[in-house]
Amino acid sequence: MTDLSQNYFVSVAEIAAKLDQATTIAQKLSLTASNARAVALRAGERAAGFRPLTDFIDRLAEITIGSSKKINQMAAVLSQTSAEKVRADGAILHFNSVYKIAHESPYIHSLDEVYERCKSEQDRLEKTYRRQIEQLSEELATLSSELRNAVILATLSRVEASQAGAQYQDALINVADNVEGAAGKIKNHIKYSQQMVSTLEEY
Amino acid sequence: MKTQKLFECPSHTWIMFGRDDEKPEAIIDTNQYMVVTKNNSLLMDPGGIELFSAMLAAVIKQVPANKITHLFASHQDPDIISSLGLWDQALPSATLHSPWLWESFIRHFGMNNINYAAIPDEGNILKLDGVALEFIPAHYLHSSGNFNVYDPEAKILMSGDIGAAMEAVDAPLFVEDFDEHAKKMRMFHQRWMPSNEAKNDWVRRVRKLDIEMMCPQHGRIFKGDDVKRFLDWFESLEVGVLNKG
Repeated sequence: MTDLSQNYFVSVAEIAAKLDQATTIAQKLSLTASNARAVALRAGERAAGFRPLTDFIDRLAEITIGSSKKINQMAAVLSQTSAEKVRADGAILHFNSVYKIAHESPYIHSLDEVYERCKSEQDRLEKTYRRQIEQLSEELATLSSELRNAVILATLSRVEASQAGAQYQDALINVADNVEGAAGKIKNHIKYSQQMVSTLEEY
Repeated sequence: MKTQKLFECPSHTWIMFGRDDEKPEAIIDTNQYMVVTKNNSLLMDPGGIELFSAMLAAVIKQVPANKITHLFASHQDPDIISSLGLWDQALPSATLHSPWLWESFIRHFGMNNINYAAIPDEGNILKLDGVALEFIPAHYLHSSGNFNVYDPEAKILMSGDIGAAMEAVDAPLFVEDFDEHAKKMRMFHQRWMPSNEAKNDWVRRVRKLDIEMMCPQHGRIFKGDDVKRFLDWFESLEVGVLNKG
């Protein structure tokens, strides 16, 4: 993890990258849902209990992809805002230095208007940055809560798979494993991102 | 940052900024120049990011910020114009004059407010309150899109990297012993300047100008006969040579 006091904008970029990986995994979850439906159809009556679960897997995949994409976009926008904030902070530091070096200059106050404009831009970016972090944090919490259903779904899938007979049992258990595995990986990325975001909130 | 008035007449003034003894040691020392007319100023090769605060502080000791209406970047190098993103915030209504060739590159330094006035290959003239400043082509010396600034009234040529020498920050502002100074210029010109043809063409054109002072972006200023000595020396120098000094 980077030193936030120096490189918070790098941390934001890291969050964006982490969440991009979560989107890719969510897309794989969608494939698992299609696969589950195909297996359940082939298994016919023996997998009658499994079929409704495929709708839930599908819904979970849809929610996860949608939410991951949204979170990913939010992180990308936050990354852009934080880079602009770094530039604005840098400009203010430079102007402060000019005020210090040239305090006796007869024209020093000709910079006041520029300074005020930069300061107000810095304030605007600071507020935008805080608001975007808050929104990102809320969206991460929502997705994390949705993913709790994946564990229940995987457990139910395993129970139903055991009823489907030897021919389809392995394939359906594999579906359950994939759901649980994908959800677990996404949760890890989200957990990491939540930790980073909470550090950014404190900064 | 030292400030030196080079020329003054009723219509305009030339000022040099340089020899910044507070600059970080690892960055090259640079000379910046400014022409001040009645209501406008042209700041030439304003320098790198590291220099911005010292430069702006030095400049507003001379003129108010809103009077710095024009910037000039002879080419795209970071020691010339990497401070652009900060000038863009300090002087949002200013115009940057720079080679057309480098526009899309120079914009990478950050330019949301300043207007880019692309100088065509053949050069052009900027008039500030009636003072004519000519952008003279100096392509491949060293950059492939490169200009000098010539003021026919002040007889000053701002020559960018031509005539540059690597010197200590406490070096005198003017060349005192040309032959001694030439030793400090040799490697720089041989290594940085890629084309004998471009160099000789520039020398031919510049010999026709009336020049009292030739002001490079690094090192010392050439005055009077030293300008002609430089042109002779440069003409006879083989450039585009991998010379490690």
